[in-house]
Amino acid sequence: MRRRNVRHEVGALLLFPLPAVIIILVAQAFPVLYSLTMSFRDWALASSLTPGGFVGLANYVKAFHDTVFLHAFAVSLQFCVAATLLEVVLGFILAYFTMGESRALRVARTILILPMVIAPVANGTIWRMILNPQYGLLNAILSTFGARGPDWLGNPVLALVSVIAIDIWQWTPFAMVVFCAGLSLIPPELYDAAQVDGASRTRVLRSIVIPYLVPVIFIVLLFRIVDTFLVIDAIYTTTFGGPGFSTNVVTLYIYWQALRYFNISFGSALSWLISILTLATAFTLMRAQRRLQSSIWGVTQ
Amino acid sequence: MMKERSRIYVSVRAIVVAIALVAVLVPFLYLFLNSVKIEREFRSIPPRIIPFVVTLQYYADIFGRGGQLGSYLLNSIIVTLVVVVVSVFTGALAAFGLAKLRRMYRFIALAVYLILLVRFYPKVVMLIPYFILMRDLHLLDTLAAVVIAHSSIGIPFVVWLMIGFYEEIPIELEESAMLDGCDVWRRFTRVIFPVVLPGIATAAIMTAILSWNEFLIASSVVSINAKTLPVLVSGYISDKGINWGPMSATSVVIIVPMFVFVLFTQKYLVRGLTFGAVKG
Repeated sequence: MRRRNVRHEVGALLLFPLPAVIIILVAQAFPVLYSLTMSFRDWALASSLTPGGFVGLANYVKAFHDTVFLHAFAVSLQFCVAATLLEVVLGFILAYFTMGESRALRVARTILILPMVIAPVANGTIWRMILNPQYGLLNAILSTFGARGPDWLGNPVLALVSVIAIDIWQWTPFAMVVFCAGLSLIPPELYDAAQVDGASRTRVLRSIVIPYLVPVIFIVLLFRIVDTFLVIDAIYTTTFGGPGFSTNVVTLYIYWQALRYFNISFGSALSWLISILTLATAFTLMRAQRRLQSSIWGVTQ
Repeated sequence: MMKERSRIYVSVRAIVVAIALVAVLVPFLYLFLNSVKIEREFRSIPPRIIPFVVTLQYYADIFGRGGQLGSYLLNSIIVTLVVVVVSVFTGALAAFGLAKLRRMYRFIALAVYLILLVRFYPKVVMLIPYFILMRDLHLLDTLAAVVIAHSSIGIPFVVWLMIGFYEEIPIELEESAMLDGCDVWRRFTRVIFPVVLPGIATAAIMTAILSWNEFLIASSVVSINAKTLPVLVSGYISDKGINWGPMSATSVVIIVPMFVFVLFTQKYLVRGLTFGAVKG
């Protein structure tokens, strides 16, 4: 009965997504598929105003021989692993320590999430000033201890460390709020039972809190792995890939290829390689998360 | 013994949270101080962190005739408002249809997952083709170009978020409206929509944050007239000199509205940030 009722409404229901679908097709599907076709052609704006002929997989093959791209890939991986790990660990610690409903804790949580909602350009502005070797806050603080601070964004190794730190500053709050939500979903009876059994705090953490949080950890990983691997904002607004190629991450390299050198085909091929990788990662993590969610929480969501 | 350990725990906890609060607040405070600090104090060695002389000159400059921040601010406000209205309206509508249809047809369930992919691919992919598209539509350097791009990123997010909210509504609510003879549209506007208002609020605020802060796509399709605030600030980046005053003041203008937003949205922030995957 209900089924039939819904069936005759399919036509009307199909109209609901129509405006959204049109916008997505025009502004997302078209550009993405256009770049796919471009990746099989030969088009560099510097030499021709119109796309050239089909070249098969040549652009993709070229990517694997491009040492700058391979280097950028390695930089992105380092950025991704270091930033994600630290954000997850710090985010968990902060969530665990700010658990509770007292006024002070609520205010603390509100303050701690602020970095996450500010514009990347503002974030870049703040950190370029703090890290400025001559007039910056960080080196001013170091000098009061008699230490001479380095040129944070001018040294290849320190620049990478710095941009990772900037990402951690901005995105640890994300891990924190997600963990806060996860912690609040743990049934209070479990804590009560643990208390009756006289379990220690670390025991509760190990046997109740962390196992219950596993699906939530996967959500944090899903978002942070993909976003740190594709990072561009924090770098575009501070080092712009430098000094040299030390902070040149893949997304920034694609930006250079496509929007500065106008190697449109090559840039498209690179972005498709990266897209396939991130989408596969996202898909794997989502599947794993769903499986864990239903096995641990025992509910289908 | 237990009490002893607990006291250590409490103090460790207080110290860690205090350090985190300082780490978050000091950069913001520093930005604010720089926006009211005169140039001589930036450049003194060692630099003066807390200004001796306070000036509002930079704010006067950026809003004044030379800076014209006002018109960029207006651009940003218009773009954000239109993006919020378009994304939330079309997204909430789409999600209602898709929430039902995806249970009936596998290909629609698949299409819903395809929408999710918009969140996880590098946005640099769309820059050139989108630029070409806007050029051919004669929309370069217009607010419409920015609005369409931001909406296309905002909508997938609203759809996912709202599907979650719709599925929490007990089916009986809609069934009783059905028995009263309400058609789909009336059920949506009269029965369902009022119930999911918290979801709508979450969606609106998250898309507002997205659009207000976004600069990469915006900067690729605007040049002069349609600049938004983030595009304006990104112009300071190539600047090697210490033009910190105006840069800080403009950044303060960008940041403050988002702080106000967070105060109102905290409750739903998690759900919004995770595409509805974690319910706070």
